[in-house]
Amino acid sequence: MKDFAYVRPKNLVEALSFLHEYGHDTKIIAGGTDVVVDLRAGVIKPEYLLDVSRLAELKGIQLRSDGLWVGAGVTLSEIFSSEVLECHAPALKKCAATFASKQIRNVATIGGNVAHCSPCADTIPPLVIHDADVVLASINGIRQLPLEHVVSGPYTCALPDQEIIMGFILKPAAVTHADFQKIGRRKALATARISMSYMARKDFRGKISFFRFSLGACTPTPRQWPMVEELLAGKVPTENLIWKAARLLSEKMIEITGRRSSTVYKEPAIQGLFVKMLYPMV
Amino acid sequence: MDKAYRTIGKSILRTDAVDKVKGLAAFSADIDLSSPPLVLKVFRSGIPHAKIIKIHTEKALAIEGVLRVFTAKDIPGKNLLGIINKDQPLLAADKVRSAADAVALVAAETEEAALKALDAISVEYEKLPAVFSPEDAMAADAPLIHPKGNQLAARFVKKGDVEAIFQQCASVIERTYRTSMVEHNYLEPDAGIGYLDVDGTLVIYASTQNPHYDHKEIVTLLGVPDDKVRIIQATTGGGFGSKLDLNTQGFIGLALYHLKRAVRCVYTREEAYLATAKRHPLTIHMKTGADATGRLRALRAKIICDTGAYGSYGIAVMSRAAVHATGPYAFEAIDVESLCIYTNNPFCGAMRGFGTPQIAFAHESQIDLHAEDLKIDPLQIRLLNALRPGSETATGQVLTHSVGISQCIEAIRPYYESAISQWATAEHHPYKKRGIGVGAMWYGIGNTGVQNPSTARVEMDLSGAVTLYTGCADIGQGSTTILTQILAETLGLSPEQINVVAADTQFTTNAGATSASRQTYISGNAVKDAADKLSDVLRTEAVNKLRVSKKSLVFADGCVAVATNHEKCVDLASLAKRIHAKGAPLVWQGYFDPETVPLSPTDGQGIPYGTYAFACQMAQVVVDVLTGEITVERIVAAHDVGKAIHPENVKGQICGGTAMGIGFALMEEFKPGETKSMKDYVLPTSMDMPEVIPIIIESHEPSGPFGAKGVGEPALIPTAPAILNAISRALNQRIYTLPANLERVLDASIQSGHFAGRKK
Ligand SMILES: Cc1cc2nc3c(=O)[nH]c(=O)nc-3n(C[C@H](O)[C@H](O)[C@H](O)COP(=O)(O)OP(=O)(O)OC[C@H]3O[C@@H](n4cnc5c(N)ncnc54)[C@H](O)[C@@H]3O)c2cc1C
Repeated sequence: MKDFAYVRPKNLVEALSFLHEYGHDTKIIAGGTDVVVDLRAGVIKPEYLLDVSRLAELKGIQLRSDGLWVGAGVTLSEIFSSEVLECHAPALKKCAATFASKQIRNVATIGGNVAHCSPCADTIPPLVIHDADVVLASINGIRQLPLEHVVSGPYTCALPDQEIIMGFILKPAAVTHADFQKIGRRKALATARISMSYMARKDFRGKISFFRFSLGACTPTPRQWPMVEELLAGKVPTENLIWKAARLLSEKMIEITGRRSSTVYKEPAIQGLFVKMLYPMV
Repeated sequence: MDKAYRTIGKSILRTDAVDKVKGLAAFSADIDLSSPPLVLKVFRSGIPHAKIIKIHTEKALAIEGVLRVFTAKDIPGKNLLGIINKDQPLLAADKVRSAADAVALVAAETEEAALKALDAISVEYEKLPAVFSPEDAMAADAPLIHPKGNQLAARFVKKGDVEAIFQQCASVIERTYRTSMVEHNYLEPDAGIGYLDVDGTLVIYASTQNPHYDHKEIVTLLGVPDDKVRIIQATTGGGFGSKLDLNTQGFIGLALYHLKRAVRCVYTREEAYLATAKRHPLTIHMKTGADATGRLRALRAKIICDTGAYGSYGIAVMSRAAVHATGPYAFEAIDVESLCIYTNNPFCGAMRGFGTPQIAFAHESQIDLHAEDLKIDPLQIRLLNALRPGSETATGQVLTHSVGISQCIEAIRPYYESAISQWATAEHHPYKKRGIGVGAMWYGIGNTGVQNPSTARVEMDLSGAVTLYTGCADIGQGSTTILTQILAETLGLSPEQINVVAADTQFTTNAGATSASRQTYISGNAVKDAADKLSDVLRTEAVNKLRVSKKSLVFADGCVAVATNHEKCVDLASLAKRIHAKGAPLVWQGYFDPETVPLSPTDGQGIPYGTYAFACQMAQVVVDVLTGEITVERIVAAHDVGKAIHPENVKGQICGGTAMGIGFALMEEFKPGETKSMKDYVLPTSMDMPEVIPIIIESHEPSGPFGAKGVGEPALIPTAPAILNAISRALNQRIYTLPANLERVLDASIQSGHFAGRKK
């Protein structure tokens, strides 16, 4: 492991000025649960580590006029115990329940999870169903981008070196059903083999009047699944219908990834997990 | 009837507990010396099979802070290691046989310099074709990994006419089972530190399971006299068999010998993954026959063990798998062939159970298949076939005592019956299936059909204080506590009064390896033997003082007293002084070697072990038929340990073994070349642990210390079979390859129609 300097700015302005000058040689560190692993493995060799974990500007979960704000520095433990999220983004809250382990959740942040751009990142499917925007700051000001534009490739984040993720703006949803599901090889500390998230509303006739869905760990980058949503919209969810949607989903997934050795498992497992997740709607 | 013991059977404070809780226990990486030791790093081949043409070390030597780069030619003695067969060089001389083979050893002032030196070393190789499966290695045109051929050894166990009996069987089952390569994952990666004593002795502290073996190997490696090397076991954070090999010790010895300066060698987790032994993956073809009542009659098996590039404990694994192929059941006829094959994979060695966990997966699946075939209850068919006193084993050994398998099965029964009647039907979830499975095992204590004695020394000083000297390495399982209890009980002392010197080759004699679940039984007996001798001189002397017969004397609170009247007594200090004055010894050596008869090379007949442990476990699992996820809800584990000297330790072993068994059953798989660290190796976490109900069965073993046998390895053996049988009951579809991971379970769910059944 190469030596590096550790920098802890007092506030966002200080952090942004530092990045303006040294951004190219700097790695931002929040909880460090991805960064430290990469440092040890020699995958990254920064001159500076800029610690943003204590910046007040990156904290907080609030319902605001422009949407539901989740600061980039919010930890997964904070997400798990948030009443605001329980109410307005229950799937996001749920993903924190099975995220890594308690020790990791206590330090790992949602900003780090998104910026690391792992296809297996657990917070991404819930963020996608809420049409999350990423709020970015640099000394030139603040801008807002859709999440899919930031997570531009597996482990590649479309952020310039000078920018920090301040937080996320989610569309809060009043829904009757929401969930996050993940398949791992063990009950904790498991990278998702498959993850998925949805939220939906059933109207008074029992029909699906609103449906949003996202899949994790299967495609290189997060994406929308309009055909699946369209198939379900306006219909009464039956077991049959859910299986139909599940099969459509796995077909579309294979169209994107092609058939690989892992498809033998993923094809049925995506269907299975989808059915399991949506079963409470039936 | 239990005598009222003072300490035996009591869960006393473990001898290592306070230091470990306070963080005082010094592991090899923590030991401080007066000056900082040099750092040793090993350069490894990175390719599986090649001739070494030339090793370039000049650039490495030019790096500041690098003192020496050693290669094979620097080894003054015999560059060949191995506890059973010697085939592994410390540093490769002419060729490399696996990607982990050590080629050069760097000694540097700092870790940084040492790592730079590793990057600066280059080796010219002539690549050789490599083989990665025993099938390929056994092919006629396969490249030779070792000069004598790719088959390292074979073990046959034969009795009766198998084919004739199969003809008469109502149920004949033939299947092939495969198990995975497994990493031990002890908490403390391998480490050691060494320095030169004032008299020129090479002193090495190491994380080890067998200091006296280390000593022998290093003396031979360096070609120095016995008294010039001293091995001391540092606090050791687990081993599970992998620290039976010489991991860092040889490198430390070599560098010390040449540099005469303190050196330290600490593996990273990645290096421990790459360079130390693994559990042998086994392929087992097994055919068994039973009559219409479910009585097992004949067994034929062919077992193939992939030992990787080196033998290590491979021959022991091969033999033990063959001898245990019947499981704890009586058969009339046996025909087992077990082969140990070299490949260019990482070398495989000892791991908790030596092939028994693998073979138990096969025999326990077979007996369940017979039960299904003949519509007999799984518990009942096991009980029907269970070994009992008077039974003859596959090797022709007639068991006489301490055959607790039936008691273990009976102890499971109430849990089993209530699980069937209540738990299995309790919750009805459309996509979850519940299954209850049973697994049983037997396990011979100690090495297979070879002498494996232990020794111990017990010393009393003139103040009456007692010290135990034992070569036995406590690697965290608690052997020092057990040996202390055995000694304290024999002399009527409390365990805190005993001083212990353990696992230091300068002061202790050989206790053999901490492996094969042998230390309680074998070293326990050696300690007891020494203690009995001391006890005898003390009581003999007390007769003079108390004027009653020797047999009416007992030990009580630091005295020898008249059994019927403890007031009439004499303290140990006065006895010690009187004995000493007469010139009689207060130091006694103990010895024990289980009574075994070597197995015949042609038919494996003989007496491989002095005694056997038995166990039966039940698993309750929930299978998610849509995703292949498994939840193990409960394991009930009944283990016959002879006598639980320290019941909490026994329970600890059972719970830990269960955890390891869950990993073996459901998730663990080391893929050579791919698996680098815990990041890409899945082993169970606390969240994967079910409720475990340990049940201790005590079927007294007359040859054991206070009736004790062993439990270290048995703890893990029945777990995977029980879980696999439970999955098979849940799905009506059996899995024949371990681990039963997501892919295999979902596939079984699809095959059995549980998944597609939902496809309307
Ligand atoms: C044992 C273990 C288990 C894990 N299990 C899971 C799991 O179950 N699910 C899962 O999704 N992940 C898991 N992870 C991965 C990791 O914990 C998560 O990705 C976590 O959310 C990263 O957050 P962090 O705060 O630790 O990020 P860091 O490691 O500090 O940073 C990660 C990346 O984000 C960048 N970054 C951080 N904050 C900002 C910011 N405000 N602006 C711009 N860039 C930023 C960093 O530069 C870096 O590139 C696991 C990791 C470990 C070590």
